[in-house]
Amino acid sequence: MASAQLALNDVSIGFGDGVLLSKVNLSVMPGECVVLVGPSGKGKTVLLKLFAGLLKPTLGQVQIEDKDLNQLAPHEQKQLLLKMGMLFQKNALFDSLSVGENIAFPLREKTKLSEAEIQERVVYFLEQVGIGHARLLYPDEISGGMQKRLGIARALALKPQIVLYDDPTAGLDPITSRLIVDLILRLRAENKSTVIAVTNDMVRAYQMADRIAMVVDGEIVITGNKAQTLAHQDPRVVQFVRGQLHGPLTESQ
Amino acid sequence: MPKLLIDVIDDVGNCLLFVREVMFTALTSPCSFASICEQIWTVTLQSLPTTALAGFFVGAIMTVQFTLQITTFGALGYLGGLSTSGTVREVGPLLIAFLLSGKVGAFTSAELGTMQVTEQIDAIRCLGANPIQEIILPRYLGIIISSFFLLAVGLVMSIFGGMLLGLVFSGINPEEYVRHIPTIVNKFSVANGMFKCLVFAFLLASICTYKGYSARGGAKGVGRAVVSTAVLTMVGIVVFDWLTSLITDTAMNVVLGNS
Repeated sequence: MASAQLALNDVSIGFGDGVLLSKVNLSVMPGECVVLVGPSGKGKTVLLKLFAGLLKPTLGQVQIEDKDLNQLAPHEQKQLLLKMGMLFQKNALFDSLSVGENIAFPLREKTKLSEAEIQERVVYFLEQVGIGHARLLYPDEISGGMQKRLGIARALALKPQIVLYDDPTAGLDPITSRLIVDLILRLRAENKSTVIAVTNDMVRAYQMADRIAMVVDGEIVITGNKAQTLAHQDPRVVQFVRGQLHGPLTESQ
Repeated sequence: MPKLLIDVIDDVGNCLLFVREVMFTALTSPCSFASICEQIWTVTLQSLPTTALAGFFVGAIMTVQFTLQITTFGALGYLGGLSTSGTVREVGPLLIAFLLSGKVGAFTSAELGTMQVTEQIDAIRCLGANPIQEIILPRYLGIIISSFFLLAVGLVMSIFGGMLLGLVFSGINPEEYVRHIPTIVNKFSVANGMFKCLVFAFLLASICTYKGYSARGGAKGVGRAVVSTAVLTMVGIVVFDWLTSLITDTAMNVVLGNS
């Protein structure tokens, strides 16, 4: 049996006096797409940041390809993290760089490509996400959907094997959301990458996920694929999936 | 211990750790020469007009003040030397530090703070780059190196301002004004001024980059970072001015005493 590409082993993390996640476990197999759903502020983005090495767990291990991320030497950690790309919730685009330069940045930093090759790759990635015409514009001169596409293109610039998407359809209209999810699925199929995505849009979650996991009450509830999630018996999952006003999720608040 | 005091100690400690990390990065993985030059250009260009203008009027003020004092002693010929010595030793570095604090310190803190709260710094890390090397170090070195350029500009303008005012209001011709400058402004005065300039620039670069880099909590957090940069640099410059005066005076006494 193949081993997990990404794993959380008994991971706990908290901020201040509160505990956000308590002894959570999650395994993601190579090529799999796991979508994290759940109420806001319960730790979905924190989980992505744990995998990206931006946060350290209070307890437990974050494993990437069987290596404990936080036990590695800085240069080893950096090498491992280069296999990963991340789309941030608010895109985190470099606003002082043009659209093209946003993609060129990681290529200049981490590859030995010539300037001509970098520009070639920039054009290629921008065409892939359908914003080739915006290369010379700045991030604040393009629409929200285009910014999202640019964020995706930048996350994929170093051809990562693992891609983390933090709410890729947040704030977008349904048609643009659909286009973004189609883009994510197409790029995943082309690159054969492993994907972890966070979303609160269940339609998009069903569309993307091999498995869905719900982050709630400091734990991760694996709900399975679309059919298994819809048939799940946990009242918290039922309330969230159906968007009901009354239930354990709203009572506990 | 009061919470405020604990917070202050905590902040100072974190700032020192941050400076250590910047120094370590400078030694182990320095940033590109082009990025430092870009920052020097930006900082110098941002502050050049105000430095030149302020330098001119500092020279003018010094001339007016010294004229009143030394006319009584019939030593008007020493006006240029005394005025320039005061600017080189004290007013010049202090002026540059205050101007840089107001313009570049606030700007850098706001810029880095915005990058922090919009997750751009996290994004740099995710793309396999080191944010200290990529964005902090060039700004840090840029501020320190530019402060020397600006000091030179400020000094030249203050001599020019003093000379013009001396000519207009006291009738001292420019040749007489500059004649005693080399007599009074010696190598110790220049070394003193440059040492102060270095210390102030180091202080400013450390505070504004640290405050920006550690900003949290959206627009309000960035605002807080800018305000604390302004307050801390102003207070810090005054305190370190006293400290450096003490050090340089002691050093000068030791050197002159031994020679």
